[in-house]
Amino acid sequence: MLEVRDLTKRYGDVAALDGASFRVAPGRIVGFLGPNGAGKTTTMRTVFGLVHPDRGEVRWKGELIGPGERARFGYMPEERGLYPKMKVGEQLKYFAELSGMDAPTAKDATAGWLDRLHLGERAGARLEELSHGNQQRIQLAAALVHDPELAVLDEPFSGLDPLGVQAMAEMLTQTAATGAAVLFSSHQLDLVEDVCQDVVIIDHGRIVLTGAVEELKAASAHRSLDIRVDGHPWVPILPGGTITNKQGGRERLLVDSSVDLEEVLTSARRIGEVTAFSFEPPSLADLFMAAVSEGARR
Amino acid sequence: MSGITRRTWLVTRREWNQRARTRAFLGSTLLSVLIVVVLIMVPEIYGGGGPPSRTVGLVGQNSPRLPSLLQAAGTQVDLAVKTRAFADEAAGRAAIDSGDVSVLLVDQQELVWKAEADTQLQAAATSAVSVLEQERAITEMRLTPEQAHRLLAPPELRSTSLDPSSDEQTARADLGRIGVVLLFMAIAFYCAFVLTGVVEEKSSRVVEVLLSRVRPTELLAGKILGIGLVGLAQLAVVMGAGLIALSFADNTVIPETTPGTFGWIVFWFILGYAFYSVLYATAGSLVSRQEETQGLQLPMTGLLFIAYILAFVATESPDGTAALVGSLFPPTAPMVMIVRIAHGAVPWWQIALSVALMAAAVYGLVQAAGRIYAGGVLRFGGRVGLIEAWRGAEA
Repeated sequence: MLEVRDLTKRYGDVAALDGASFRVAPGRIVGFLGPNGAGKTTTMRTVFGLVHPDRGEVRWKGELIGPGERARFGYMPEERGLYPKMKVGEQLKYFAELSGMDAPTAKDATAGWLDRLHLGERAGARLEELSHGNQQRIQLAAALVHDPELAVLDEPFSGLDPLGVQAMAEMLTQTAATGAAVLFSSHQLDLVEDVCQDVVIIDHGRIVLTGAVEELKAASAHRSLDIRVDGHPWVPILPGGTITNKQGGRERLLVDSSVDLEEVLTSARRIGEVTAFSFEPPSLADLFMAAVSEGARR
Repeated sequence: MSGITRRTWLVTRREWNQRARTRAFLGSTLLSVLIVVVLIMVPEIYGGGGPPSRTVGLVGQNSPRLPSLLQAAGTQVDLAVKTRAFADEAAGRAAIDSGDVSVLLVDQQELVWKAEADTQLQAAATSAVSVLEQERAITEMRLTPEQAHRLLAPPELRSTSLDPSSDEQTARADLGRIGVVLLFMAIAFYCAFVLTGVVEEKSSRVVEVLLSRVRPTELLAGKILGIGLVGLAQLAVVMGAGLIALSFADNTVIPETTPGTFGWIVFWFILGYAFYSVLYATAGSLVSRQEETQGLQLPMTGLLFIAYILAFVATESPDGTAALVGSLFPPTAPMVMIVRIAHGAVPWWQIALSVALMAAAVYGLVQAAGRIYAGGVLRFGGRVGLIEAWRGAEA
């Protein structure tokens, strides 16, 4: 269990983190979501001691994190980077050994990962000779080569095509299946909706929502409502009010979950022919918007 | 700075493998070996190995001991004298004409020259013949061995030089200059590796992947150690080759302080490299891209050049105050001290003091640099100020 407690970090007048607390359980894939600049990278770097918080702490299995713990973590920074001129196989083995693996184990782990990525024959190639996509894969392998108990991946999906996203999602699922805790960040909430089991949503350095995705959706006081009358979106006037959320170039409507659907449908029919009607649990983006606006109201 | 950990050694090993196993390294090492060996062997080749040689033609009634006496007398006037016997005077004169012999000695009586007499050779021949004449006279006079000895034993004159062995002094100054150039090149070269290595890790952003696994001081120490070992290996191989060449070259031009100086060059490289590499690594941690390193190198390059120039001043007066101070002041100590060592007779306590001061300076530098490096190496985007980096490593 990774426990982040009350992290606070200021850069000059800017509060990058403002009392952020959350947990990551073993075997779970946790999406660390929020807009750019919300404090995701700062939090992740704090886990690895790359940033020293002004206040707060990070614990692993109840212990404050030191070099011994970090050796069992894997980290893929947002700014990707490996040695361009070093051979791929040597490079992965080097990182495995730096994380505490002995030489033979590191060698086996490297071979295993290269096979898994179908890059076994490129072990002797310099990193810079690989395609961009393959370099990304090696980057992920460098983070996971030593079978970490905790994998922290900063924006692993950014820059990937849909196939790449799928492959990355599978990789994360496999990693979590081995019992590792997986924490990954993303600012594209819709993209990772189906990947994460738990979410930690951060905004302006504060955690605004955390929990299991399904539970959060079910427990949400909102529902996503989409009504089309004569092919056009239609917005009912409701007692609880509505929140609109622009997503994918389309307005989405969040309404109170207790809304009387029959009444809404009846009023819609009075206007014209109802061509589409959906009433669903909110998306992650909806949850985020609701949480942020709630936070703003408080 | 923590002790040397397994992770430090892993970093060290990577640096070694990435640099020492390249063709460029092998090539530059071989080239350096070649240059040093040629430098040592070449004076031997063009110097001809000793005094000029002359051949004396012998004809007529000559003592069988004459050739050895001529040779001995020649040595005293710095000539290598060989002899050649001729059947008759005509053959001897023909040999003079053709230049095969310098002079023809006839019946131990007459010297026949081609043109003018060579005064040195004439003195040698006269001396050789006079020994034979004296021996003959002694035999005729029936002197006792004691009397003969008193007559023949040359007086022993004591020599005192006002400018003792100035050739040796010049050679030692030259040795000092070579040592300074070697040290300067080795330190500047390998420190540049450290600088570009640090910046490479920063600009390729691999540093963040590394520092999630190792402490900044471990990474810094491993890098400096690894590159330093590569440099040390190269220098040791080159100096070793030099020592081997020295043992083969029976060369009087090479000063006797040479083997010691070669050893000290390797030793002072270690200290000089330790001092400067830490500075260069710190500078590297403050920039984000290779292009930004230019201006930042200036203070260290300046310091290195001051040391270089001071070392050359020291070759002129190795016992002067400037040389003494320069050989104790850590930034200039390696190069100035090597000049003094090549000159010879540096009091042991001065070397000990210099080493102690250097070790203290390196220790202090490592403390400060480790912190600045840790604070600077993870800050990206443009130059990081020294103070900002220092503060960045706090907490």
